[in-house]
Amino acid sequence: MPRLLASALRLRRDPRILKFPPYLSLLCILVGVAWLFLLPLDRYSRKTYISENALLPGQVHTYFGGSDQNVFRAYKHEVNELVGKSNTEINDKLEPIVKGLGLKTARQNFTYHAAGHDFSGENLYAILQAPRGDATEAIVLVAAWENVKHEINRNGIPLALTLLRYFKRWSLWSKDIILVLTPDSIAGPQAWVDAYHDAHDPSHVSSLPLKSGLLQGAIALDYAQEGRFERVHVVYDGVNGQLPNLDLINSIVNIAGGQMGINIALQEMWRHDSGYPDRLRTMLRGMLKQGLGLASGAHSSFIPYHVDAVTLQPFGQGWQDEMAMGRVVEGSFRSLNNLLEHLHQSFFFYLLMQTDRFVSIGTYLPSAMLVAANFTIMAIALWVKSGQPAAGATSPSSDKTKKLGTTTSPAAAERDLFLPLGVVALLQSLSIVPLYLFNHAPESALTPLFATFALLNTLLPPALSHLLTTLPTTPTTPHQYNLIKSFSLLLLGMFLSTLATLNFSLAMITGLLAAPLSFVQPYRSPAAKTAATVLLNALSPTAVLLAGVLYWGTTDVTGVLREAAVAWHVCGTYSPVVWGEEAVKEKTT
Amino acid sequence: MDGAKVTPGRTAGLYVGAAVLRFAIFTLLPGLPDLLTGRVEISTPVTSFKRLQEGLFLYNHNVSPYDGGVYHQAPLLLPLFSLLPSFTSAPIFTYLLYIAVDLLSAGALWRIADSGEAGSSALFTSPRREKRWSGFVIAALFLFNPFTVATCLGRSTSVFTTCAILHAVAKAVSGAPFGAMVAISFASYLSLYPLLLLPPLVLLCYDRQRSERATKSAVKFAAICVSTVAGVLATLFQMSYLITGSWEFMPSTYGVQLTLSDLTPNVGLWWYFFIEMFDSFRSFFLAVFWLHLSSYVGGLTVRIRRQPLVALTLILGIFAIFKPYPSISDAALFQAMVPLYRHVVPLMRYTFVSTAVIMYATCLGPAFYYLWIYAGSGNANFFYAITLVWNLGQSLLVCDLLFAVLRDEWEVERPEMVGKEIRQI
Repeated sequence: MPRLLASALRLRRDPRILKFPPYLSLLCILVGVAWLFLLPLDRYSRKTYISENALLPGQVHTYFGGSDQNVFRAYKHEVNELVGKSNTEINDKLEPIVKGLGLKTARQNFTYHAAGHDFSGENLYAILQAPRGDATEAIVLVAAWENVKHEINRNGIPLALTLLRYFKRWSLWSKDIILVLTPDSIAGPQAWVDAYHDAHDPSHVSSLPLKSGLLQGAIALDYAQEGRFERVHVVYDGVNGQLPNLDLINSIVNIAGGQMGINIALQEMWRHDSGYPDRLRTMLRGMLKQGLGLASGAHSSFIPYHVDAVTLQPFGQGWQDEMAMGRVVEGSFRSLNNLLEHLHQSFFFYLLMQTDRFVSIGTYLPSAMLVAANFTIMAIALWVKSGQPAAGATSPSSDKTKKLGTTTSPAAAERDLFLPLGVVALLQSLSIVPLYLFNHAPESALTPLFATFALLNTLLPPALSHLLTTLPTTPTTPHQYNLIKSFSLLLLGMFLSTLATLNFSLAMITGLLAAPLSFVQPYRSPAAKTAATVLLNALSPTAVLLAGVLYWGTTDVTGVLREAAVAWHVCGTYSPVVWGEEAVKEKTT
Repeated sequence: MDGAKVTPGRTAGLYVGAAVLRFAIFTLLPGLPDLLTGRVEISTPVTSFKRLQEGLFLYNHNVSPYDGGVYHQAPLLLPLFSLLPSFTSAPIFTYLLYIAVDLLSAGALWRIADSGEAGSSALFTSPRREKRWSGFVIAALFLFNPFTVATCLGRSTSVFTTCAILHAVAKAVSGAPFGAMVAISFASYLSLYPLLLLPPLVLLCYDRQRSERATKSAVKFAAICVSTVAGVLATLFQMSYLITGSWEFMPSTYGVQLTLSDLTPNVGLWWYFFIEMFDSFRSFFLAVFWLHLSSYVGGLTVRIRRQPLVALTLILGIFAIFKPYPSISDAALFQAMVPLYRHVVPLMRYTFVSTAVIMYATCLGPAFYYLWIYAGSGNANFFYAITLVWNLGQSLLVCDLLFAVLRDEWEVERPEMVGKEIRQI
């Protein structure tokens, strides 16, 4: 053992060991990415299973149907009358209908300001008190008047009303059922959940006059399509990339697929052949959505409060009718009604590949951690390097050391830390500026601001490096460059590994975009310099945003920025912070 | 940076800068201090500002502050805070008090640095002592350390203990044993554990006595010091008794520290261990844990007899790891003392690693706590694992500093070994 230690110590001093880290960190990135692509294989993903026994999905007969069809048609008639009316008028009309079912109702006003706009409205909600419960627990049924694409929920609202009327007739509920009707899919549910948990800002969102118990689960109905449908799309992404408990999704898949014969689709994969490409596509779409961290439906706001929630969205042309959809909801509610404790058995961190296959955090986290580790490895290597004498002087001095034995200290050379620390700290704190500006600018100013920022982002790094080489009284040494890079890579690695535990996909995406930062170094030849500059600028946050907008082409830059600002103000999304951080990193090279 | 000239203007600038920073955060971001107050990393059951408010409310309504089992802090803090205008109506006075305490601590640290005790004590003079930072730099490192700022913003009452400990050391190095003993008594009165600092502190006082009225006999000197501490503590206890009207405060303050009856999570190593334990083993392990914590005092004091300030610093570092209720304020106190040893930094081997580990733990700690408590997707093991990492980082720093100091001493004894590679066994 001592011998091994001694040889390890000798190895530590070997200058060749410093040649390894760049290859090692490249290996980390490659393995990390390859890992990700292995996940959809059968050997690495697992079949889903229900771990909470109390759920018993699909074990009950569902009776929704028959004369409820007529009730549904009547409600639908009423709702169709209301299309185009104002929020208050709609609620004035709907409230007596819900009251007529014998339920307690209440309303809630909210106003949010973001990107120079006001988002205001009024939520209407009703509580069905459980015949067998004590109002300590509740399940929520959400139906928004508009979905995220601003289509009117023509069938969802009447279906929710019919379901509530039907639920009222049963005496088996042991949890209260709350029906929430919101004017939109993002701000309304957010205001309602915030107020339900007393986490709202009373100047913008009014408090709830009527409350029930702890929310155990929520299902949002997004049924804008007319006519019969073929399958149901389950949307499960929450704000900031949080996900509902996998048991909830499994139960719905089980109920819809096993009992009703309705297939489920995930992540807008309208066709899925269970093969490798489709699995990979589902997973990557899921990761992208998780990474963006935006609200994807009325259910998203519930998840941060540890209320497991999904949105159900019928789609396609098939032979399933509204009653089938109603029975899916009924079955799911019966399962949730069985719960003895909060859903906790199954996974909260997972990537779904198809409705019945997933990978859990233990399997996929290493890939993001490897990407984050590459930065830390490089940071350590650069630190060690910066402590050694300059490259040219190594070989003669080491010879001398052998002869004289005592001239050089085994400890590393002294490092001048002041300038590197200052530069890194300053650049890190600069990231507050774009974050503040983009979130507080009115919508019209967003595009010019974006252009300015893109320009600055391109110009600042060369300006800064010019400043560093010319201005200071004492010239900056290569060691100091190494230290600047070392510190910023260390911080990057640190933030990414922290982020990976909170939002795996965001960490992975950011990590991959920032990967070249590990390898750039001061180049001598102008060609290499230009290539590196172009690459870094192409991967800068502004360029990536622009590329994303061009690729998907559904909205323009302003739209994206507005949505980000809205998400910041309404839902407390923090992904913009990360983008700002990344912008800063680039400048340090 | 080394030994830079310090003008009165720069001194004032530093203090004003630190005060303005804290005051600006207090007033411009009013949500942040309250957020920090609730963080387990800052507020432990024995230092929490929220619990102090509860105790204060009970005290002002003539109920024993220890009723209800929430308040576990020293009774004399209550009259101090009830002298201030109410926190809810005029919080500014509380802010000013906390800022002033931080500045006082920085002043004491400055005096310790300027005394040069770290580089050359009565019995040992380091050959590297020329390379040191001025009091200005060390005070600045303390005042702008994020941990210090966070503790001040979180209004944890541990700032009073920190201030008392630093003043005790400052008095000791300036040759005022009586003042040092009074200060350490206050620190012990506030949070019990500083009593363990007494042996190295007495040695430090003994070494730094003014020659004109020095006590030659070490035993006599120690006896005087110990009786001073006992006398001051007895007076403080008597005052506490008069204020609260009973001796109930003893079990509620020191008893809680000794028996760990409040198992709120913190950055230390005790809570998880005692949550998992069967009750029948509890008293045994309490004794073991306390014995472990206090065993370092004797060993370090004897081994580093020639540099008592080093022993004090290392023991503070060990407290930050092994105390029953540690918080980041203990880490901040230790990190305030470490820069005094600028001259041995070239001998330290793991500065980068320990700094990186501490920074990683600082980032991951709140994330894991969030996953456990708020998101519900993690569990207690997540947070405990990260407190292990945090304490690993701190123990690396403690060990590394110890190694560097011992090597410094060793190179004086054996000049032929200067610069040779050695192995720590």
